[in-house]
Amino acid sequence: MKKIEAIIQPNKLDEVKEALISIGVEGVTLSEVRGHGRQKGHTETYRGAEYSVDLLPKIKIEIFAPDSRAEQIVGVLSTAARSGKIGDGKIFVSSIEEAVRIRNGERGEIAL
Amino acid sequence: MAETTTEMKNTLAGSNVLVLAACILAALMPCMAQEGAKPDPAGMATGDKTTVVDAGGNAFVVTEPTDKAAPDYAQKKKDFDEFQAQAAKEPLAVKLADATGHIRVATNFAWTLNTGYLVLFMQAGFALLTCGLVRKKNASHLMMLNFAAYVFAFIAYYAVGYAFQFGAVAINAAPSNLGGTPTLNHFLLGHGLWGFLGGKGFFMTGPAYDAGSNCLALFEVVFMETAGYIIVGAICERISFWSFLLCELFIGAILYPVFGCWVWGGGWMSQLGNTLGFGHGYVDFAGSTVVHAVGGFAAMALSVVLGPRLGKFGADGKPRAFPAHNIPFVVIGTFILLFGWMGFNPGSTLGATDLRISVIAINTNLSAVAASASALLFWYWKFGKPDITMACNGMLAGLVAITAPCAFVSPTSAFIIGILAGLVVCLGVLFNDNVTKIDDPCGAISVHGFCGVLGAICLGIFADGTYGAGWNGVGATSYMGQTGRGVTGLFYGDTKQFAVQVMGAVMCAAWAFGATFLVFKVVNAIKSMRVSKEVEHEGLDVPEFGLPGYPEDAIHATEF
Repeated sequence: MKKIEAIIQPNKLDEVKEALISIGVEGVTLSEVRGHGRQKGHTETYRGAEYSVDLLPKIKIEIFAPDSRAEQIVGVLSTAARSGKIGDGKIFVSSIEEAVRIRNGERGEIAL
Repeated sequence: MAETTTEMKNTLAGSNVLVLAACILAALMPCMAQEGAKPDPAGMATGDKTTVVDAGGNAFVVTEPTDKAAPDYAQKKKDFDEFQAQAAKEPLAVKLADATGHIRVATNFAWTLNTGYLVLFMQAGFALLTCGLVRKKNASHLMMLNFAAYVFAFIAYYAVGYAFQFGAVAINAAPSNLGGTPTLNHFLLGHGLWGFLGGKGFFMTGPAYDAGSNCLALFEVVFMETAGYIIVGAICERISFWSFLLCELFIGAILYPVFGCWVWGGGWMSQLGNTLGFGHGYVDFAGSTVVHAVGGFAAMALSVVLGPRLGKFGADGKPRAFPAHNIPFVVIGTFILLFGWMGFNPGSTLGATDLRISVIAINTNLSAVAASASALLFWYWKFGKPDITMACNGMLAGLVAITAPCAFVSPTSAFIIGILAGLVVCLGVLFNDNVTKIDDPCGAISVHGFCGVLGAICLGIFADGTYGAGWNGVGATSYMGQTGRGVTGLFYGDTKQFAVQVMGAVMCAAWAFGATFLVFKVVNAIKSMRVSKEVEHEGLDVPEFGLPGYPEDAIHATEF
């Protein structure tokens, strides 16, 4: 089993969601997060004084999938979330040891 | 133990204040009982044939001349005799005049009260504006400040402020549109043309329990409230609640009424035309200085006493931005203020029978839009992006600056005054941030202080003489050799009016800043008026009132 974590631009959320649904992904977890990458945000002026916007709003998506589907999901995700500009985000994939369905105690891939 | 001592000290200080208040009251009692005209609480004797005037302000009733030595005595006596003869022939006309006079005063009551309600609504606008301009963690604190400002300043004004300001209004400046308030006729300090403090109408009892007086009181108390809430914009995000209440009591009881007496209560500044020959005396139609600059410079003094917010200026002295947390509040608040100003300025005629109100309304709006445009475009040019909060400050700056001259200038002049105000407010904000380092979160000092002074001076420049004949008792028959000529500024040939306007505006700034600074420097030395560093970092909402502005936000994601 794999965990796929993607940090994307909030305005790409709808496209990503539709793309995931179209390939049959069933479970998705979303969170609103803030952070910065290599650019470390940017500066703005308010009433003549500068301030830095260094923690930009992003969306984090977490998907748990069987090993066989991970590559396809990563591909779809990266295509749908891409605008080609700086700040598009990143995708991380890691291995998962166990999954449990709380309702009936099923374990392994069947619980996903 | 230490806490108990402080508490005891506080209680002692509290009882001292009460004793002091009782002494003041005891000292004032004799003048409250002074003889004079009778008040008319029911309003059934207010407005008769003596209040009937034509469009030019000429009275229907011709009064008997008293000064036999006057050069025009014979003519006046003849007019009086003719009127008496006519009145005897047509008693029905005199009766009709009694009814007409009552309706005239009633019309003016309705106008004055309703415009007063508009001014009252400005409280809501200011609450939204200032709340929107601060950080989210101080939102409910800001709302509480705006709320308490109205309540406590009102009580102070009711107790002594109104009497200090208008207790002698009948002597030099009776508002005849409201039937006059002849019962308010005693100066506590000074007398005649050199009055310094009114002395009748404490707690709105006795001579102030009068329909005309109460109409004036409603309109004037909401003006005082305006000065009262201005300070919020400069001292927010760091002032403790108890010291804010002291500030409001001080403004409502002393700071505002004293200057108000000098200019609007028949006091010495309004009479400088009669006493020293300075034009029409110091003129401020609706309060660029009396209301706004008083509030603005008091705000400046308080901001200096308190010091800037933590982190506002970096170690290198560079100002840092604490962006507004709710721009919709800022814009809605500004438009409510604009709407309320339609009561503030046109209402200051104290009567709808004064048809200048339409010119005043147009002038007020024109200045507001001109100032909005100049502030917005200046910012656009200087920083590459227009700043909505500065554009809103610009609109208010235009309103503040036109408040003194609105009745005396043409629409063209109003537009020019607006452009100037928009620039002054922008430069003022940059000046405070970069030169004086006085922290003013909402721009209150620039909007109300600097632009208030600008307004009073602009009156001395742009007043065109079309309005205000006989203002402050000067030039009732003719002025500068012309019949019916009113208040006139520098561009139209009256240098003395300009001089007295500059002097008066400086006087206002000096009084408001000086008195506030002295009083609160002492208060701050006794007990710090600021909240602790920890409280300021956390936000004042919860430590001071136990409730955040937006309780559902469990996590404050952005801590600027």
